[in-house]
Amino acid sequence: MASASERSYTRRDTVIFVACVVLSLVGLFSPSAWGLGISNALRDTVLAPLVWLQARAEEGRTSRARLQAITLQRDSAAYLAQGIPSLAAENARLRQLLALSGRISTPYVAAEVLRQTQATDGRTLLLDVGRSDLVSEFDPVVAPEGLIGMVLSAGERSSVVMTWAHPEFRVSAYTVGAGASGVVAPALSSLGADGALEFRGVPYRDSVPAGTLVLSSGLGGVYPKGIPVGTVTGVAREQAGWERVYRLLPAASPGAVAHVLVLISPPGTSLERAFPSDSALAAIRLDSIARVRRSDSAAAAKESAR
Amino acid sequence: MSASRANRIQLILVMALLVLLHFYLRPRLWNARVSPDFLLMALVFFAMRAGPGAGALAGFVVGVVSDALTPAAFGAGALAHTVVGYLAAWGRAVFFADNLLVNAAFVAVAVWVRDLLLLLASGTPQGTLLTELMLNSPLQALSTGAFALLVLVAFRQWFAIRLDV
Repeated sequence: MASASERSYTRRDTVIFVACVVLSLVGLFSPSAWGLGISNALRDTVLAPLVWLQARAEEGRTSRARLQAITLQRDSAAYLAQGIPSLAAENARLRQLLALSGRISTPYVAAEVLRQTQATDGRTLLLDVGRSDLVSEFDPVVAPEGLIGMVLSAGERSSVVMTWAHPEFRVSAYTVGAGASGVVAPALSSLGADGALEFRGVPYRDSVPAGTLVLSSGLGGVYPKGIPVGTVTGVAREQAGWERVYRLLPAASPGAVAHVLVLISPPGTSLERAFPSDSALAAIRLDSIARVRRSDSAAAAKESAR
Repeated sequence: MSASRANRIQLILVMALLVLLHFYLRPRLWNARVSPDFLLMALVFFAMRAGPGAGALAGFVVGVVSDALTPAAFGAGALAHTVVGYLAAWGRAVFFADNLLVNAAFVAVAVWVRDLLLLLASGTPQGTLLTELMLNSPLQALSTGAFALLVLVAFRQWFAIRLDV
């Protein structure tokens, strides 16, 4: 038979356990803004040293790869620098002729992704930049391949990103070429559809072939126009003759990125030039070939004049 | 210095080491989703030696820390870790808590149970739930259990672990 002290000990344990469970449930069912506020406050105060420690560890992990990349870039830059003055002059002249702007004209902040072990990690990402780096809520987050998501909450030195895998993620989008528009959301309902997106609300009359690139349309005021969201892989389902829902292969994977860019530009900016589609790349390539041919013919003319 | 106080200090030192490993070593290891969860390991070790109430409280604190760093559903981590901390403390009374493999198995099972509770509490859709529970969670449970073995062998005298299995 348990003694009185053992019984009180067990009762005290049970009370503590129930209190912790109740507090957890309060946190779980309270408005998400409260949870994000508490998270931000914790990350900016008591957890700040741990976040700092993890950021240094991430830096250490990626430093070797970054050093190699920087060395390669430096070598390439040194090689290219030899012809810079003439190229710059030609570039400026061509820009004037074509009225082109620079590829990236949007202010951005480079950020490191701090990975967690939680099973729900893919839905949100923790970045090592925050309000002190001019990052704020609703700033779009992109990887070189395309859209990752947007900043859900920004602390002083860290911020949380809602990725496209989050159930509440939505982005207004359109297709390149076909001109169909709709809303992209994560495919969550069916088994085996993990890691996929759906292009919803496309009018039945607009047929989108597989392989079509889907870009953000800029509507809604959060995501700028022209960021790749995904590629159409097929029809997911049809809604009784008035809309089709297409399955998308996401352009960028939140699970694989180590570094991202947080765009801190005002809404309404277009990023179409920052992520050139196939036709734009082809045009750039043709332009380069024409430039080489011109320089070759000029050199040949100079040689023949001698 | 009394024996119980020395034990407390030793336990605190190991906990601090595990927290350091979680935030400094783990990001340098392989895929974050399957790399060992040193925080949960620390929670299980603590709960098995401190009792159900303290285990639940420690679980709640670890859960709030996890929720603050991965706020997919604030409160889900706290709930999952609280239950795991409480159950780990009760498990000590049922199993042989001084056995090396039992301790490591406890940690591995705790990882899987934590993930199950976390995914259910955060309203994860069925497809993702199955993928996580059948693939990522078992892998993380194995890696965490393996690291728990190493930690227990390294600090076997502090944890009063028997090496005969």
